[in-house]
This record gives sequence, C-alpha cells and structure tokens, in this order.
Amino acid sequence: MSGSSTAKRDFPDILAGGVMIGLGALGLWAGRDLQFGSAAMMGAGFLPDVICGMLIAIGAYVLIKALGKAYEPFDESNFKPLIILVVAIAGFAFMSETLGFIVSTIWLLVIGSLADQESRWREIAISTVLLTIFGALVFIYGLGVQMPILPF
Amino acid sequence: MAFLDVLMLGFSEAFTPTNLFFCFVGALLGTLIGVLPGIGPTATVAILLPVTFFLPPLGALIMLAGIFYGAQYGGSTTAILVNLPGEASAVVTAIDGYQMARKGRAGAALAIAALGSFFAGTVATIGLAVAGPTLSSFALSFGPAEYVSLCIFGLLAATILAHGSVIKAIGMVCLGLVLGMVGIDVNSGSTRLTFGSTELYDGIDFVVIAVGLFGVAEIASNLEFKEARGVLQSTIGRLWPTKQEFKESWGAVLRGTGVGTILGVLPGGGATLSAFSAYSVEKKISKTPEKFGHGAIAGVAGPEAANNAGAQSSFIPLLTLGIPSNSIMAMMLGAMTIHGITPGPSVIQNQPELFWGLVASMWIGNAMLLVINLPLIGVWVRLLKVPYRLLYPAILLFCCIGVYSVNNRGFDVALVILFGVLGYVLRKAKCEAGPLLLGFVLGPLLETNLRRALLLSQGDPLVFVERPISAVLLLITAGMLLTLILPAIRKGRKEAFEASED
Repeated sequence: MSGSSTAKRDFPDILAGGVMIGLGALGLWAGRDLQFGSAAMMGAGFLPDVICGMLIAIGAYVLIKALGKAYEPFDESNFKPLIILVVAIAGFAFMSETLGFIVSTIWLLVIGSLADQESRWREIAISTVLLTIFGALVFIYGLGVQMPILPF
Repeated sequence: MAFLDVLMLGFSEAFTPTNLFFCFVGALLGTLIGVLPGIGPTATVAILLPVTFFLPPLGALIMLAGIFYGAQYGGSTTAILVNLPGEASAVVTAIDGYQMARKGRAGAALAIAALGSFFAGTVATIGLAVAGPTLSSFALSFGPAEYVSLCIFGLLAATILAHGSVIKAIGMVCLGLVLGMVGIDVNSGSTRLTFGSTELYDGIDFVVIAVGLFGVAEIASNLEFKEARGVLQSTIGRLWPTKQEFKESWGAVLRGTGVGTILGVLPGGGATLSAFSAYSVEKKISKTPEKFGHGAIAGVAGPEAANNAGAQSSFIPLLTLGIPSNSIMAMMLGAMTIHGITPGPSVIQNQPELFWGLVASMWIGNAMLLVINLPLIGVWVRLLKVPYRLLYPAILLFCCIGVYSVNNRGFDVALVILFGVLGYVLRKAKCEAGPLLLGFVLGPLLETNLRRALLLSQGDPLVFVERPISAVLLLITAGMLLTLILPAIRKGRKEAFEASED
C-alpha cells in the first residue's frame, strides 16, 4: 500500500524467504556452541553452520526478488481446519502414553471430525465408535503397538 | 545363464505365500487410499509407511512397492472418473480420460490405462533387472569424493527437473539437510540442534517428517474449503476397448513406455515428468492433434504407460546407487534404513535375494493391479461416492498410530504437529516439500562422505575435480545450473510444466 509501487510484491515468495531466513537463523542459534573445526578436521558445527548460512542467503535472495516481482496474493486460506487438527493431534500425543488408546483415539476422532464444515454429530458418533474398535483390534491386539488400552 | 539364475532366485523369494500376500495387501491398500480424491501417491505412501515396519525387511519393501503402484493406479481411476487428479502425475490422465468418461467410455479408458500400465511395468522391470547389476558394479568403485558429487548432482537435478521455482527448491533441500543433522553427531559425539531435548538425540524420525509434511498438511488443505466434488461419471460402459481404440493406443503405449523408462531414471524424474512428456509426444506425432483434450484414447494410453514405467525405473538409482530420485523413493530409502538395509551398490552383492525378490515382486504387483482394478472397478466407484468427511478421520488415526508405533512414544506424534504446520505454511509459500525430504534422507550420506573425502585430502577441495567420475558429475551439475540462467531454456522449462501449474 505504500506509495508508488502498489502492483508489486509476490506474497508467497515473501513468506518463503521469511521462513528460510527464520529457520536458518534458528539453526545457527541452536548450533552456536558447536565446534566449527576446519575443512580437513570438520567439527560438529561445520556443516550445520555452512548450510544454515546457505539457507539464510537463499531466503534473503528469494525475499528481495519477491519485493520487485509482479503482485501475487496468497491463495485463499482458512486456518480453522488446521487449528482444529493441531488440537486433536496434540491431545492424542499427550494422552496416548498415560490415558491409553481408547480415550486418546476418541478425542482425536471427535475433535478431528469437527475440522470439516459439514460434520454431523450422528455420523461422528458412529464413525468414532467403529474406528476406535477397529483401531484397537488391528493396531493394539493385531500388530502389537505398545500403548495401553485404558487409563488404568 | 547367470541372469536367469538370479531371476529365478527373485521369483522364488517373491512367490512365497507370505510375500505374495504382502504384495496383494500393499496393492489393495494403495488402491484403496489412492482412489480417494485429493490424496496422491506420496501422501498414500507416507500414511501407510508405518504399517510396513511390523513386517520382515523383504516383505515390507514388497508391500511398500505395492502400495506405491496401487496408489498410482488408484489416482488414475479418480482422475478418469471424477476429474480430480490426486497428484501431478495423474493430471494429464484427467484431461482426456475424463472426456472419455463423459462420452460413456470410462470402461475403455480404465482398461487401456491398466493394460498399458501393466505392459510398461513389465518392460521397466526388465530394465531394472538388466541395468541394476551393471550400474551397481560400476558404483562399487565409488569413493567418498564420488559420493559427495553424486549426492550434489542428485539433489540439484531433482530440484531442476521437478516443477516450481528452482531457487526455492534448493532452499528446501538445505532445510532438509539441516533437519537431517539434528541429533548426536557420530564423529564427535556432541549433540546438535536438539534444543536440549533428550528425545531428539537419535535425530528426527523420517516418518514424522513424511507424515507431517504430506499427511497432516494435505488433510488440512483439503479441508480448507467445501469439498471440491467433481461430477462422478458413474456409467462405466463396456470395459473392453473396441478394435479401433486398441489400434489407436498400442503405439502410444509403446512410446509412453520408452519415454517413462528413460525419464524415470533421472533425479526428479519419475512418474510426473514422464507422464507430461509422453502426453506432449503423443500430441505432437498424432495425425489428429485436435482430438486431444476431447477424449483421445492415445492421450490416456501414453501418459499412463509412461507414469508407470517412470515409477518403476525410478527404483534404479535408489537400488543401485542409494540415491533416491523423488520423495516417494526417499520414503523407500527411509524404510530400508529402518530395516537395517543401506541401499546402494552393495545390496545386490550382499543381499541378492532382497534385490531380486523386490524386482520379481514388482512384476507380480503389476499383474495383481490388473486383477484388483478391472473386475473390482464397481467397488472403487462406490468408494468415490463416500464423502471426505467420513474418510479423513480414519486417515488421521492411521497417521497418529503409525507415528506413535515407530518408537512407542507420544513425543513423535507431537513433533508431527510441527511438521504438519510447516507443511501447511510451505504450501502457502508455494514451496515443494519433496526436495526437503530428499535433503533430509541424503544429508547423513552427504555429510559422512564429505568429511571423509576432505579428511583424506587434508582439506583440499580439489579432490572433487581430480577424480574423473566426480568431476564429470559436477560438470553436469554445473551445466544444468548454467542452462537455467539461459533465458531460452528457462522458457522451455516453464512451458513444459505450465499444464501442471493449474
């Protein structure tokens, strides 16, 4: 919106450049204590630092180019399904080891099903029951996945 | 004679009842998930990957390969019947296949696709059997320097031949390389990039990355808007093609097979590039190019043969050199590593039963697809009518349990969230996740050999150009990068991929 060049900026590329710079910097920071060494005797930090540096450089190139490119907006987005999925999977991740398969699977399926706009409670209930039974039989009893079935 | 002996060995391995069963289950599961609209072969393989960890090594590889072809073929079925290609490789099939379906010739399109794929799969499998031993004995002479150059060649070629922006793809490769370095450094024993988490000492499991980037992110973007439902053409029509249709398609199948077998070997090649090239070849040499886009059977036969041949021959670099050429092969490599197999030239020498068993099972798998798909087409059509909202919770459950089962811990499932969100953001940023996965699986190989090569040369980088094979590989890589800068070739590349952009 600022000034003369309104019809520019490639937003997906700006995001791409930003992600690369951010993750590259995070990598450099996380590896700040590692020994760098020399080419002949590489330390543990040699390649992480070099490649994070490359990542930042590429990110910066993409970002700077994007500012001068023809205008391109983001695709239409709807973050709701992603957020719901994250909540559903997070619940499964934290409950599975302690509360067991049945509780965590019901949570995953019921919450996860809400991510679709057209979800209906009756359908969710039926499919959750069926999938939980199927999953317990196939994965826990059949394939022997090490997960408790019930909380106690 | 030696050739026949090893082939016999392969078939005797693949024809055991259990391996036949794994092959069948793989092809069936692959078709089952692959036929769902919006889920392509890459996502299917990622979702089903953990299931194979419970099997013995050969059984697991046979099943994974079966899943892969099943998913590929299932995707073509969806493309023809509902015009919703699950992945780029089926995009071209949808163009003419769906038009045939609208004219009531869906049956013929499906049959030609299946028969063409079977033929192409057979030829490409023979190609693999012939090229495998030759290439791998050549690769046995590779030292660390050659491996470094080969990795660089493979990674860069994969970014150039895949569609999308090359510079962003190279960035994704770097990101994958960094992710591959998380964990304890084998040389020094110090922990790297773990953010103090003991769970990360063994590194990030690649199933976590695959399921996050390809499974969860895929579901999240499929759910963003109301289901994009194509109009299902439920009248399949007569399955057997007419004489005229046979006449129009056999040439296309032959050409598609040739194109696919050759392009599949290239890094980044595989099914997609093969299918697109075969379609343009057919359109160019056809006497009636105006028919293309309106239900030309050659436009189904060529690309279908090509994508199957390409899918098959993309196993060649993986099994002989240990270099995966696309994200599905990267997952195969990951699966092999989990079973304690290091893919590369030594597999044929040390575990011939594994290599030849897999080769033989590929052919059997292709034959099974024919059996699964044509008579059961009614079942798949019915499956297409099931709404996505009933299907994705099951897929979600598969993803979560699968990831949990790798190390029996919830931590990995929590990590999947991170990669799911990353995958979603990368989609918004129009970055391909495939190169990231390639970088991730090749990272350790690249680092070990780079360190070794430079240690031997006492830090002198000239070692990479002094050794002839290494120098040639680097020269080709440099040449490819140069061509990108030349405007004429850049334009040609853009045109070649234009059809896949929308």
